[in-house]
Amino acid sequence: MIPTEYYLLLSAAVFSIGVFGVLTRRNALIFLMSVELILNAANINLVAFSFQYGNLTGQVFSLFIMALAAAEVAVGLGIILVLYRNFTDIDVTKATTMRW
Amino acid sequence: MTAFDFAPAIALLPFVSFLVALFGGQYLPKKGAFAGIAATAGSLLLSAWVAVTVAGGETYNEALYTFTAGLDTFELHLGILIDPLTALMLLIVSFIALLVHVFSLGYMNDEGESGLPRYYAGLGLFTASMLGFVYADNILMAFMFFELVGLCSFLLIGFHFREDGPPSAAKKAFLVTRFGDYFFLIGVVGIFVTFAGATQTPGAFAGAESFPVLAEHAIMDGATEGLNTFGFDAQTWFTILGLLVLGGVMGKSAQFPLHTWLPDAMEGPTPVSALIHAATMVAAGVYLVARMYGFYALTPTTMAVIALVGGFTALFAATMGVVKQELKQVLAYSTISQYGYMMLALGSGGYIAAVFHLTTHAVFKALLFLGAGAVIIAMHHEENMWEMGGLKEKMPVTYWSFLAGSLALAGIVPFAGFWSKDEVLYEALIHGFGTEGGLGSVFLVAYAMGLLAVVFTGFYTFRMVYLTFHGEPRTETARKPHGVRWNVKGPLAVLGILATTIGFINLAPVKKLADVDVDFLHQWLAGDEGSGWEGLSTGYHHYETLLHDGPSHVTVGDIPGLGADATLIVSAVLSLALAVGGVLAARSLYKVPEPVEHTNKLGSIKTLLMHNYYQDEYQVWLATGFTYPISRAADKFDQGVIDGVVNGISSVSLFSGSRVRKIQTGVVSNYAFFITVALVVLLVIFGISGGWF
Repeated sequence: MIPTEYYLLLSAAVFSIGVFGVLTRRNALIFLMSVELILNAANINLVAFSFQYGNLTGQVFSLFIMALAAAEVAVGLGIILVLYRNFTDIDVTKATTMRW
Repeated sequence: MTAFDFAPAIALLPFVSFLVALFGGQYLPKKGAFAGIAATAGSLLLSAWVAVTVAGGETYNEALYTFTAGLDTFELHLGILIDPLTALMLLIVSFIALLVHVFSLGYMNDEGESGLPRYYAGLGLFTASMLGFVYADNILMAFMFFELVGLCSFLLIGFHFREDGPPSAAKKAFLVTRFGDYFFLIGVVGIFVTFAGATQTPGAFAGAESFPVLAEHAIMDGATEGLNTFGFDAQTWFTILGLLVLGGVMGKSAQFPLHTWLPDAMEGPTPVSALIHAATMVAAGVYLVARMYGFYALTPTTMAVIALVGGFTALFAATMGVVKQELKQVLAYSTISQYGYMMLALGSGGYIAAVFHLTTHAVFKALLFLGAGAVIIAMHHEENMWEMGGLKEKMPVTYWSFLAGSLALAGIVPFAGFWSKDEVLYEALIHGFGTEGGLGSVFLVAYAMGLLAVVFTGFYTFRMVYLTFHGEPRTETARKPHGVRWNVKGPLAVLGILATTIGFINLAPVKKLADVDVDFLHQWLAGDEGSGWEGLSTGYHHYETLLHDGPSHVTVGDIPGLGADATLIVSAVLSLALAVGGVLAARSLYKVPEPVEHTNKLGSIKTLLMHNYYQDEYQVWLATGFTYPISRAADKFDQGVIDGVVNGISSVSLFSGSRVRKIQTGVVSNYAFFITVALVVLLVIFGISGGWF
């Protein structure tokens, strides 16, 4: 039996890696993957607490989040395609036309 | 089907002729004149039918179209009220309008004027609005048509808009009457607010639910429940309301000090002047007072104001008429003066005398203006009387009918004006002696001014007649005047006969002395028990009760030391003698082959009179020297302070916006950075305040 704290530490680690990726990378695909990491950190948390309290709601929720993440990837990939068409690049810092 | 079912058509027919002349006038023979003639003739026939029905004892007071209905509150509607006063006025208006349309054929079409469809459209709308005003059953509808009348006068006075004078005169007429109407509008709103709690129809003129009747209950029986008098005593508040509405009356009926627009309005075509002065615009004011007389009769202060303003205006305008050189100017001042008499009569309790004078004046003033129009055609549009002379032989029909009108205006027996003016003065006199306290003295002062004006009236009227028609022709045009046709002579002849005879509809003095029943107008307006229109509370006997038993306590009295008959005879002889005196003075001065300007002997007084007592100058000063600086200061305040604050607020927002927007870099990583930093900051704050550390 692994204590819940370990799951939480894992979750925090995955979350931090995700945030690090979002903050430092310019490639849109990596950006998208980092967002996935953040989402999955949350999933781990949900499952861990669900296990801790013996309540299945958290696990059900994590299934929903997976479906949501799949949809998000579909949209995100679409955005990346458009980004590429308009700027011939997928560097997110190049697309700065929508400011003041 | 009764005549009342067709009553709306009385005003709608001229309105249709307005539309026809406006949109189709260009393609019609005579440019739409026939449409107007047909419409006013139709209105005249319907009015006659209505009058016959009313004579049978029926009246009509219905709401026809409710344009705003409120839940548990009052409603606004258009409706028709027909009582004997309305029926009489409908006849007068449609009759004069018909004659003016016919006369216009000679004055406008035969003279080759351009823009005739516009002219006939204006006449049609003018007639329609006046007829609508006359049978309006509530004061809001009356106000709406009152304004339409003002608009039409603006359009018609400024008919020759390419010249300099008419547009300016039109603007002046519009602005001066609008100034009065401003008070009228406040009065209308005031009446609605005051009586809304007591009835569904607070603006109605007649019937148990009308505002004069409610006001009567409030004052006579103290039934003020549901009335909102803004904390004033009921009588004080009704005085204020009455005076506010009187503002509109004084503007439209050209009473001092709002009379200045009327002489300038002579810039309009002469038939329009006839219509304005005899039956429509100027008559509207006096008619409004007569319409809501039950309201005015309750408040002695307004009665005193009406009587004084009327008496003063009668005298004031008559003195200015003495020195004028242009035919139409003399007539303009006589109009102001005669409407002063009507106000004097209304103020001093002579309701029937006022309506009688309104009737006779409509006839003889229309006659005089149309006669003046005929002279102006003959003189090739020269209006200065000093350029005329000797027209008597050349245009006999015009001369004799004009003479009949002049005798009526001067008040010479047995022409129409004598009977009505005598009754006006007689009523003022007996009420002056009979009424106790200040009100009686006010009536006597107003009477004295009215009596004095009789001399001037006789003088200026016959100065005008002698200068125009007698003596030697003074210019080439006067020697060879232009002929006039049937369409000018016809209306003149009809009106000439009427001006001679219409006084016989109300021979009140004869009735009192010889005890024969010849005061038909009196019987017509009486409205006593069993007359079929008692419920409307607009009959003369009802007003008499109000005047006598109400706060005014207007009572009939005699000259001290004389009996009733002697008072009557003295009053009549006095006014006749003064009128004849004025006429004889004019005759001795001006009935010579080569008249000279005797008014020059007046010296500086003549200068004063020629400048109309500097009324225009002081009103212009009021506008430029007083109102203009105030409005400029207000403009400064508005532009500087109000707009400054608003602009300051917006420029602060703009400035801070232009700085803060810089954080929107468009780079996604920056946004992610902000989010992360904010999350961390939140965590730290929660941590510190939540006691994790």
